[in-house]
Amino acid sequence: MPRKARKAYIPLAVILSLAMAAAFGQAPAEAPVVKRPVREAPGEFQFVRLAYSANSYGRGGWGRRDQMWRTDWPDAEHHFSRGVDRLTRIEVAESGRILTPLDDEIYDYPWIYAVEVGYWYLNDQEAGRIRDYLLRGGFLMVDDFHGTWEWAAFVESMERVFPDRPIVDIPEGDEAFHVHYDLDHKIQIPSRMFTYSGVTWEKDGYTPHWRGIYDDDGRLMVAINFNMDIGDAWEHADWPDYPENMTALAYRFGINYLIYAMTH
Amino acid sequence: MFEALFKYSRADYARSELVFSGDWPVWMPYVLAIAAIIGITTLLYYRRGNARWYQLAAIGSLQLGMVALVVWVLLQPTLATDRLREGENTIALVLDSSASMSYGAPESRFQNALQSLSGALQDDAPNLSVRHYELGTTARSVESFVASAPTAEGTSVATSLTGILEEARFSPLPAVVLSSDGADTSGGISSDEMAEIAAFGVPVHTIGVGREVIPEDIELADVTIPDKALPGSTVSARVTVLHDAPASTNVKVYDGDELLQLIPLELASEAGTTTAWIDVELAEAGPHQLNFSVDAVSGESEFRNNTRSTLVNVANQEYRILYFEGEPRWEYKFMRRAVGGDEDISLATLLRVSPNKFYRQGIANPEQLQDGFPASRDELFAYDALIIGSVEAASLSGEQQEIIRDFVSERGGSLLMLAGPNGLGNGGWGQSLIADVLPARLPPTSIDSFHRKKAGVSLTSQGVSNQMLRFDSDTDLNNQAWRELPEIADYQLTGNLKPAAVTLLNAETDVGQIPLLIGQPFGNGNAYILATGGTWRWQMSLPVEDQKHETFWRQLLRALVATAPENVSLVADGGSDSGTIALRAEFRDDAFRPVDDIGVTTIASHENGESFSVLMQPGDEPGVFSGEIEPTISGTWFFEAVAERNGEPVAVSRSSILHDSGQSEFYGFRKNPGLLQRLSEATGGRYFETDDLSALPDLLRYSSSGITETEYRSVWDAPIVFLLLLMLKAGEWLLRRRWSSI
Repeated sequence: MPRKARKAYIPLAVILSLAMAAAFGQAPAEAPVVKRPVREAPGEFQFVRLAYSANSYGRGGWGRRDQMWRTDWPDAEHHFSRGVDRLTRIEVAESGRILTPLDDEIYDYPWIYAVEVGYWYLNDQEAGRIRDYLLRGGFLMVDDFHGTWEWAAFVESMERVFPDRPIVDIPEGDEAFHVHYDLDHKIQIPSRMFTYSGVTWEKDGYTPHWRGIYDDDGRLMVAINFNMDIGDAWEHADWPDYPENMTALAYRFGINYLIYAMTH
Repeated sequence: MFEALFKYSRADYARSELVFSGDWPVWMPYVLAIAAIIGITTLLYYRRGNARWYQLAAIGSLQLGMVALVVWVLLQPTLATDRLREGENTIALVLDSSASMSYGAPESRFQNALQSLSGALQDDAPNLSVRHYELGTTARSVESFVASAPTAEGTSVATSLTGILEEARFSPLPAVVLSSDGADTSGGISSDEMAEIAAFGVPVHTIGVGREVIPEDIELADVTIPDKALPGSTVSARVTVLHDAPASTNVKVYDGDELLQLIPLELASEAGTTTAWIDVELAEAGPHQLNFSVDAVSGESEFRNNTRSTLVNVANQEYRILYFEGEPRWEYKFMRRAVGGDEDISLATLLRVSPNKFYRQGIANPEQLQDGFPASRDELFAYDALIIGSVEAASLSGEQQEIIRDFVSERGGSLLMLAGPNGLGNGGWGQSLIADVLPARLPPTSIDSFHRKKAGVSLTSQGVSNQMLRFDSDTDLNNQAWRELPEIADYQLTGNLKPAAVTLLNAETDVGQIPLLIGQPFGNGNAYILATGGTWRWQMSLPVEDQKHETFWRQLLRALVATAPENVSLVADGGSDSGTIALRAEFRDDAFRPVDDIGVTTIASHENGESFSVLMQPGDEPGVFSGEIEPTISGTWFFEAVAERNGEPVAVSRSSILHDSGQSEFYGFRKNPGLLQRLSEATGGRYFETDDLSALPDLLRYSSSGITETEYRSVWDAPIVFLLLLMLKAGEWLLRRRWSSI
């Protein structure tokens, strides 16, 4: 490409950068506040998305990523909730909710979803709240983080939640993979970018891992979906180019985690 | 004065009949009266002079009165009195010789009673012979009363009197005199027993000894506690203390020699009973002899009524509960977690995850519940309790619903219905075949009775004393714990309660207070409704270490199974107040159908090793066999009923009981004059206090029972007759002088 032509792209890159920053930079990084009026619980299960603070990686660098918890919102919960309603007997609320770790209402929702947790940051107070939530019987599903660095960033906060509990691979025979669907043939569920690139991995996260943290009675408390993007599969379930088998599998993982959380 | 004028006492006149012993014909007095009226009238008419009519009437009346009195004397009025014939009657003197008569100082009740009976017959009494009886659980004939300590281990006034009267059925018995404190240990005198005693027609005169109010004594009047429990469970004992004055004491509970509980107790009221609830944790399986005691108060001398012992059999067995749920939900998860650590409860769950798929948990083998909800009696009756969650009645067949109804009414299992979008009224259970079983008339399906709105929870007055709703043994702290509980996530309207329903919990909703936990007995079992699916909020809203959610569900499920009978059972009845122990064994098959083609033998073993066998006899009910033993020694007795068919044992049931004979005399030993008064009134006798027995000798002398004769005593010569004659004549003379005209 001629030098002149390359220079012509600089303004475009600046504009695009500003636009992205504007799109993802609506709330202060340290205090993500997404509140809705308190209302009567509309269903036994309501999809709750965890709004967390961003770590230094999310706050710095090219473009602001301090609201990565919003990723796939609201289509992911919209599609998934209807899938749960259609495929199970669970009474499901139509729309989801967003709560921060320090919202007291978090205890009214024993299943919660966190996305892009490679960018999350839980301070001691927030980690203590999540720990308390899980030990009382809550269930956390984390998803859509990839590669060595994001794993390290996730673990850094997770270790504040449970300093002494190991993160382990969920055994093949665990009820989480069989409670409703038998998920014996697991494949890496990619993001939407797969439809452009044909690549299922991101960063250096070539191999998907289904990991978890268990309580003292052997019950799964945290389902860790590493090197995969189940949320994207939910979000783009209505997108013709996104592989149907990937969406179906993503639904099954989500439903299994949910029914597991409601039975164990 | 009366006796001076009328010659005899009022009592003599009261028990006598006035007759005329003159030989005149019956018409003679009337003729004389008419002749006197005509004569006096004629005489006064011709000699009237200037007298006015009223003067003539006054003089005539006085003259007529005098003539009438003379005629009455000539008729020879006489008192006819029935009295016992000399030397032909026997009076029964009955002395209460039960152990409670030893109470009292410086003179015991027994000594007072002995003195009262000694004075019953005066020296001038007719020649009556006397029989002496000592009263206990039965009457015992004795030569004479001996002033030794009373030792009878029980008191049955009815049995004793019936025995005495039966013995004297063909001999002249004019009266029975019973001196007693009225402290009957057999449960008093029933109306049938009273009628039987009264039918003998013998008056029973009673003398009450002792005091009704004993301020210096407190008594552990009652201890009520379940006779069976699960290992590690907490059972609640209701302790009732009887007292006549305010006092402070301590209630202690021992398991053998180990002190389990000590609570202070204020006996506040002047007189009456004070009740306290004490929670006792029983960890180990096996029979536990629990000894309850209250500390003595100042001046107390009878300590034996300050203690009571009872036996609780802690069964080392697993109870099975089936939970049928129609949709995945948080209540299901958190309830399973709550009872997961209870080793005595096996909770099998059948969860409809999707329209075509059930998920089973807590099953013992792959075959259990593989075909869904049980479709046979055998399969369902293997459980002790059934929980039905948010699921439509239509999801079960009519046969399955009938089996559920039989499960409660016949098998004696417990049913717990939970609220939910498809539960209770929404699920059509109000129109199902088990609607009769439920404690409420559920709303129809056309009304959405389920509301996802938070609500507070409060204990009802019945719930306060219910063990399954105890977070703390202290009532105030327990109430506070319930008040401070987080709100439940939802509630459901239950409709009108049935007459036998008891509400244990209420929900404090935005539409007011509604029943939350209600129950009622149905047939042999019990049915409950928990009108919420949202107690899980207690677990999620309280600190991790808080155990209230777990405690609630464990105690609720234990209460469900605690009343469910086993298909083989042995009940021993008759502890401290009975001389016998009745045994009742019931054998049913897995479907709880009575089994009759067996022979049953019970082996009775005392804790000291003594044992013998009892052949059980078939009872009136199918599958029921009964027997009886008369234990010779106190202590714990163990029983093992063995059912045999063709010489091979097919089923065994065990039980045990604490037999403590002779202790009942020290409880309820305050004087009971009511029993003695009712006895006397029913038989035509009279009740006496020991300080006023003066009327008793005459009552005995003139008794209408026994062999009697009639005594005639003239009364024409009573001083009052001559006095009246004198007064009538003097009156006439005075009037004639005053008026000077006649």
